[in-house]
Amino acid sequence: MRYSLFPGCIAKNMYPSIEKSTGIVFKELDIEIVEDAYTCCPAPGVIRSYDFDSWLVIAARNIATAERSGADLMTICNGCYGTLNAANRHLREHPEALRIVNEKLALIGMTCSGNTNVVHFVDVLKDMMPQIKEKVKVELGLKIAIHYGCHYLKPSEESGVNSESPEVLERIVEALGCESVEFPEKLSCCGAGGGVWSGDEEVSLGILDRKMKFIKESGANCILDICPFCHLQLDQGQKRLKIRYEVPVLHLNQLIGLSFGVKDKVLGVHTHMVSTRDIARKVKKARRELVSEGVQGAAESS
Amino acid sequence: MTAYLPDIIKEFDLKKCMQCGKCTASCPAGLESNLRTRLVIYLAKSGVDVLDMKELWCCTTCYTCQERCPKNVKVTDAVIHLRNLAVKRGNFPKIHVTAIDAIRDTSNGFPLTPEVSKIRSLLGLPIEPHDVAHNEEELKKFKALLESLELLKLVEEAPK
Repeated sequence: MRYSLFPGCIAKNMYPSIEKSTGIVFKELDIEIVEDAYTCCPAPGVIRSYDFDSWLVIAARNIATAERSGADLMTICNGCYGTLNAANRHLREHPEALRIVNEKLALIGMTCSGNTNVVHFVDVLKDMMPQIKEKVKVELGLKIAIHYGCHYLKPSEESGVNSESPEVLERIVEALGCESVEFPEKLSCCGAGGGVWSGDEEVSLGILDRKMKFIKESGANCILDICPFCHLQLDQGQKRLKIRYEVPVLHLNQLIGLSFGVKDKVLGVHTHMVSTRDIARKVKKARRELVSEGVQGAAESS
Repeated sequence: MTAYLPDIIKEFDLKKCMQCGKCTASCPAGLESNLRTRLVIYLAKSGVDVLDMKELWCCTTCYTCQERCPKNVKVTDAVIHLRNLAVKRGNFPKIHVTAIDAIRDTSNGFPLTPEVSKIRSLLGLPIEPHDVAHNEEELKKFKALLESLELLKLVEEAPK
């Protein structure tokens, strides 16, 4: 299957380590990627809250770009997924909206049918469990606090996921040789969405602080996310809180990269705000043990 | 009754709300702010003007309220729609203009900075991402598209 990769503003322009890790992991898994030129999705919180119709047209321009490539549109971000999936469905279900949108797109020589599939990368990976297991070189044994975020799960009418008890990330974490830890309000919001991240720092960080307390108490070695915007809030946001929790944050493609034996500095996880040194140490130790056991490929992998 | 309300009551099924409060109980923003989702829905379905309520902008659009509503009221979608109406009145956090300006100028809500360019280079990524922001012709077309929409006008012409 070919996918047109939608990296999103934050992976490109704030956390390039996520873009880098995604490229490496998809290559390892033989996921074919087409690079198209995209704009902001646009943000489901701010832009949709300002003018639904403008939000729909900007999203449709992105969807039309993937349509032109003839590839499914794949996001590595819940926010981008929330926008593109919802907009795509809206266009499919509302012929009148589609007509108006296409009048606008005609101004720049584009057209959108709404017939492209929009997929979240987790839904691609969940059907590749045997390939993922086969590629794991280093079982890291990390205790992981899974953060699903909101827009991969909800509204479930659009995502098709069981939003109150999802299991996909727990299964992936287990396949990588790590352990998912339970904690209260595991499925709750990080506090970044809806324009609150920039619009109301007190509320945004208040929500984050509450979640971080539970994560810290769970004894997790790191937080796992599937969204660069949650990642930004969890990593950079932690540094803005009064209490220094110092729990490192990994995007799923970074955790998979480490488990595939790729060095932390190649993936770029050392560029995060919260230090990932403890994780890097565990990775090194696990790799050394493999070498001493004579497992092939553990020493030379990049 | 405020003129906008009959539409929103119908479109988002607000009349079905039985005021059980599951939305407010599930709301992460409500724990940190004055946002009481049940109250917003009650006032809106009763025809009271809620567009001046600052709390509307505390919602993170996490969709937990909408997901859990036993009457399938489109709670989050209604809040987003109320915000659309509030914007027409000039009621929005002015800080968001920064993000909208960034989209206008670069096509990205979070534009590339010199600091991150250095990290991209350190990681061996192309310094300029493959996107509309770094494609002069596409960016010009995107700006033309954006100029044809209401978004920029709403923000620029909003009552102060």
